[in-house]
Amino acid sequence: MMNNNETNTHETQKLTVKERKSMFRRWIFFAGLGYNYESQQAPAVVYSMSKALRKIYPNDNDYIEAMDNHYKYFNVTPQMGNIILGASLAMEEKDGLKAKDAVQSLKTSLMGPFSGVGDSVFWILFPTIMGSIAGYMALQGNPVGAVVWMALYVALYWVKMWFFKLGYTSGTKLITSLGAKINLFTDAISVMGLMVIGSLVATVVKVYTPLEFHTGKVSLSLQTGILDKIMPALLPVCIAGLVYWLLGKKTWTPTRIILLIIVLCLIGAATGLLGIAK
Amino acid sequence: MSVVVQNILVVLLAAYMAWDNGTGGQITNNWPVTVGLLVGLIMGDVQTALIIAGTLQLMSLGVAGIGGASIPEYGLATIVSVYLAIRTGASTGTAIAVGLPVGMLTLQLDVILKIVNNFFAHLTQRLLHEKKFKKMELIFYLTIACWMLKYIIPVTLVVTFGTPIVKAILHVIPVWFTNGLTIAGGMLPVVGIGMLMRYMPVKKYVTYLIAGFVLSTYLKMPILGIALLGAAAAYAIYQRNTQQIASATSQASGGNDYDE
Repeated sequence: MMNNNETNTHETQKLTVKERKSMFRRWIFFAGLGYNYESQQAPAVVYSMSKALRKIYPNDNDYIEAMDNHYKYFNVTPQMGNIILGASLAMEEKDGLKAKDAVQSLKTSLMGPFSGVGDSVFWILFPTIMGSIAGYMALQGNPVGAVVWMALYVALYWVKMWFFKLGYTSGTKLITSLGAKINLFTDAISVMGLMVIGSLVATVVKVYTPLEFHTGKVSLSLQTGILDKIMPALLPVCIAGLVYWLLGKKTWTPTRIILLIIVLCLIGAATGLLGIAK
Repeated sequence: MSVVVQNILVVLLAAYMAWDNGTGGQITNNWPVTVGLLVGLIMGDVQTALIIAGTLQLMSLGVAGIGGASIPEYGLATIVSVYLAIRTGASTGTAIAVGLPVGMLTLQLDVILKIVNNFFAHLTQRLLHEKKFKKMELIFYLTIACWMLKYIIPVTLVVTFGTPIVKAILHVIPVWFTNGLTIAGGMLPVVGIGMLMRYMPVKKYVTYLIAGFVLSTYLKMPILGIALLGAAAAYAIYQRNTQQIASATSQASGGNDYDE
């Protein structure tokens, strides 16, 4: 909550707490919706800032100039955009159009590092861990994982509002105080991501072959007799390596690889090379 | 609930999901288990819904639309699969066999709408310059409605024409085909894993990738435990790196080299 103490620190405040929060909410509930290939999230930025900027710039021409500034390319993990836009708002509120270039450079210099950490946390770590837990629960007909997941995401609303407050109160200090550390943080958190990925290869990817070799009266199962003896999850590891390699090639998009796997599995099922894991 | 009401609610849920996912996630995002649970509640069969949603959830692990990249719409595939399975009594494999292609075709709509958004962006900027601020605001709301079409169009088509088509398919689909798709369901998570490895510094931290693998295959540790260990390792690395930077800057600024 924005309290009175903070209001006093900003002598040049033109916006009430309510107006500020309304701008924050506009971003939270609109970010990414105007996504286009040219300026990416710029329309969402313009939409969320429009009312607040109108209050800061009562003069039509100033307002248009300030808004034009936000029509430039912008793309960030929506949750992390809160911090950047909070800081932008504080700068414009304080210095007006003089801050125009500073706002632009703040936005462009922070969106890269903030997306790095934001994508890792909000698009990779969180959905991968929760997805794996909730997915296995759902397979047993248990909705608890899905419900917990939704509850956590509803709670995230207050985290997003706190991010805004953080950005708004830090203003330009954001670059010096957070800018340098955020890359280190992204680098470190990728370690956590890689450990989770390592475990997923073995637990979530299922490849099973029902092939058996017969020599006289002795039969040997390829899966349990040979592959599993070498290493558990040997086939999933090989396929993960193959997909990783293919993804490095320009012609192999994820969608094409998905189609390739479906085709391979259909062939495998028809010929008996692959079977449903027990 | 009557069939018509259920159909309308499923289309509305699809529209909602477009908004939720477009804003980066408010409650359900387009994750299969959360969306699937809601479809199950609407259709009155949570058990069937959860099994299909769980399968699609595991299939899609790690597939993330980072930086606005267009990826197969697993959330939409869930709505379609669950809806058709409950309406027609199709098996999990068959339902996913129909739902997944719909999710992959919707990918094309995603691309088209992002191009349409470009037109909206220029239109709002022009209205801004013409000082038509109210109209500009209106166009922004129109953008949301337009974005929702991404899921409304395919789900409406499925709800209207899907049931008889799937019932016809059920009679002709061979066993090896549904088996093949079930096998593919088990193998597909590998795509998300490959994408994650491409996104993360695998070569630098391959140690932790192997550690995670060994902990789960040989020691059977559950994923949350591995994630917590990973968080501990991440914290240690973060601390070490910040200390290194701090000592590097203090040396660069001419501080005495007492640590040597």
